[in-house]
Amino acid sequence: MKAVSQESAEVTGSTAAKGSKRVTQGGVLLGIGLAMLATMLIVTIFAPFIAPFDPSATSPDSLAAASARHWLGTDSIGRDVLSRLIVGGRTTLLITITAVFIALVGGLVLGLLSGYLGGFVDDAIMRVLDVVFAFPVLLLAIAVVAALGPTVPNLILTIAIVYTPAMARVVRAPVLSVKQWDHVEAARSIGMSEFRLVLRHILPIVVSPILVATSLTLSQTIFTVTALSFLGLGPPPPDPNWGGMLSEARQFMELAPLTVIGPAAAIVFATLTFIVLANGLREVLDVGSSR
Amino acid sequence: MIGTAPLLSVSNLTASVTTRRETIQAVRGIFFDIGANEAVGFVGESGCGKSVTAKALMRLSPEGASVTLGGKVGFMGQDLLARSEVEMRALRGRRIAMVFQDPMTSLNPVMSIAAQMGDMLRHHLGLSGKAARERCADLLDQVGIPDAARRLDDHPHQFSGGMRQRVMIAMAISCEPDLLIADEPTTALDVTVQAQILRLLLRLKEERGMALMLITHDFGVVAGMVDRVNVMYRGEIVEAGAIETVFAAPRHGYTRALLDAVPRLQSAGQTR
Amino acid sequence: MTRFVLGRLGWMLAILLTVSFVAFMMMRALPGDFAIAAAGSQSVAPEVLAAIRQELGLDRPLMSQYLAWLGHALVGDLGTSFVTRQPVRGELLDRLTVTVQLTLIAAIISMVMGVATGLAAARMRGAIDWIVRLYNGVMLAVPNYVVATLIVLLFGLYFPQISIFGYTPFLEDPLANIGSLLLPALALALAVSVTISENTRAAVLEVASQDFVMVARAKGLPPGTILRDYLVRNALTPVITATGLKVAALLGGSILVETIFAIPGMGQYLFDSINSRDYPVIQAIVLTASAIVVVVNTMIDIAYARVDARVTL
Repeated sequence: MKAVSQESAEVTGSTAAKGSKRVTQGGVLLGIGLAMLATMLIVTIFAPFIAPFDPSATSPDSLAAASARHWLGTDSIGRDVLSRLIVGGRTTLLITITAVFIALVGGLVLGLLSGYLGGFVDDAIMRVLDVVFAFPVLLLAIAVVAALGPTVPNLILTIAIVYTPAMARVVRAPVLSVKQWDHVEAARSIGMSEFRLVLRHILPIVVSPILVATSLTLSQTIFTVTALSFLGLGPPPPDPNWGGMLSEARQFMELAPLTVIGPAAAIVFATLTFIVLANGLREVLDVGSSR
Repeated sequence: MIGTAPLLSVSNLTASVTTRRETIQAVRGIFFDIGANEAVGFVGESGCGKSVTAKALMRLSPEGASVTLGGKVGFMGQDLLARSEVEMRALRGRRIAMVFQDPMTSLNPVMSIAAQMGDMLRHHLGLSGKAARERCADLLDQVGIPDAARRLDDHPHQFSGGMRQRVMIAMAISCEPDLLIADEPTTALDVTVQAQILRLLLRLKEERGMALMLITHDFGVVAGMVDRVNVMYRGEIVEAGAIETVFAAPRHGYTRALLDAVPRLQSAGQTR
Repeated sequence: MTRFVLGRLGWMLAILLTVSFVAFMMMRALPGDFAIAAAGSQSVAPEVLAAIRQELGLDRPLMSQYLAWLGHALVGDLGTSFVTRQPVRGELLDRLTVTVQLTLIAAIISMVMGVATGLAAARMRGAIDWIVRLYNGVMLAVPNYVVATLIVLLFGLYFPQISIFGYTPFLEDPLANIGSLLLPALALALAVSVTISENTRAAVLEVASQDFVMVARAKGLPPGTILRDYLVRNALTPVITATGLKVAALLGGSILVETIFAIPGMGQYLFDSINSRDYPVIQAIVLTASAIVVVVNTMIDIAYARVDARVTL
């Protein structure tokens, strides 16, 4: 019936429009997120060249207000706030990205193994991870860092351990569902090796939720890293770091609000970057909302 | 019935539905009447505008969409499209009631049956407490729910699909409406239960002298149920008439297609 | 159903045991340090160290040390602080009370704020929806200790006369007690309230599009009744359980907020004991905090399963 198919075409047309509208909205978020990320990366990679002052250089000009010389003023022993922020970002981001990357690898391996092999292995792995999951993240991180000592490698390791279970979970879910799919069965029936199976059929499905989860984990890690350094458990001085700067600034903050606002803004910016990125990725890649 | 003013008189009803993405002209100017104790069927495929028409009569718009109505809906001497929202609320459930399609999702899962039926009785008839419960038990009994009095405090998930639809019907007739709109009342039910529900609707209509507006995509459903039928397609009524006439000699190509779509068993008493 | 409950409880015990084991092992990672820490100073005669080791049972196998500790913990003996030489239990309970108060107030604030904004955004849409979502999006990126520090800054700059630090026990002065906890609770609650707000908004939107809400309107019920009996009652169940699971977040965040507002709670206790290497205290705190989180989560899991089973049946 010609008339009926015309109506279906109307319906399809509007769905297509809806699809592209969604991509645009997500695309905007993604674009903003990527821009923010690029800014952060450029600033931190070229930190030594961008920072106007040596972050450790003290001066008699302490607790200065913003000026042409010191864009964000100085802290209690005369160090330039802006420079400390820029260089401090390096350490923070280094720890964050490395830790999350390790968690990602660990989560991928465990999640793939667990989801693909299923049965007893799946149960066992998930139960062990559940235990780690049960702890409040910060508490666990504090306890481990306290026990092992607050060095950069320890921090990276702690955070990686803490976030691996979440990653493994994210990987495992699509693997479990993909296993049942017909084309996987078909591929297996023509004798495709298990390894190639995983690579060509399962991995692509897993990539999208992984990207979103990684971005979210990055935002949470920034929180954990800066919180740890706020409590004095971060990278030891003289490495400037945002959390530590915030904590130190509390003493005289009424006299120089920028010493607090500076690191606060930096922390918020970094966290926001990854959240925006995650949301943008989620929209664009059309990841299921059941996260 | 010639000479008696119809209960419902719809003139040039138009409805455009606007969602976030688009605006659709769902109903494009339809005219129909329903008399006081008449049963009228509305048949058409999904998307033809029959559900929108039904909801338009009660001025209900779906969540997340706005509906703009035009034309005139004469009901008991008033134009419903000119009524205020407060006035409409007094009419809904009381003078015009609706039975919805999917009994599994039409009942509030966290309220007991008595509570869900009771809030309507309280709002429209001022009944509460014991009187309300008795009325509920009586209604459930009338729609064929066994052991009604003891099931008053049960929750929807404790009933089967067919039973839930009976509960819905009980709710709809609880305030003695003049017009009952049944929007695909049997589509979500098992075949064996469908006939029972239809018979129930017919019986209630006769007993209470209600008008019945039966909406469906299946011509087989309206057979034996309605006096007249309107066939809808893409927002318009393309054929209307007495049920026997339309069955015997459909004039529009679309009507013919719908009739052909009804599966037929070889039976002596079957028309066509 | 009973099988499920028993299963969850059994699992809970297993996790608690593992948690206690890990908590214990972490502190014993460096046995040499342990004895020195117990002694309280680096420069201690070897014989004294040896005596300490023996007294604390450090020369026994690790497993038996753990079991001994666990045994003590189960009857309420959480060891003796290296720093104060007093039983950990007394101080811990005092501190716990303070943290629980703080967490409770924070939970209430976050629920009220979260549900109110989420509901408003879902029902009123338009500009309000936009504003709420924007606020939520931004606030999610502001960690609770940053909020706390900014609050202190704000008061320091504009209301220096109001004292916002410290803590007054409830029995001493109920009003001052709540006053002293209000700001830290607010800082703690802000981030969590955002999550609750988003959850509420999503839940209400979801429920509003359900058939039975349309049916309620077709029955002619007034909007207030529909909101209360049909929308909120259905939307709130998942929101409440999701909120309960946030207890972990609140507990974790309390460490930071307590430090900033000088509240003598468990968080500060942990922080101080880490700095002074007071291992028995650290162990006890980690154990207690984790136990609380695990127990609460399990209870919520069970409660949610009951509600869910009834709804989906």
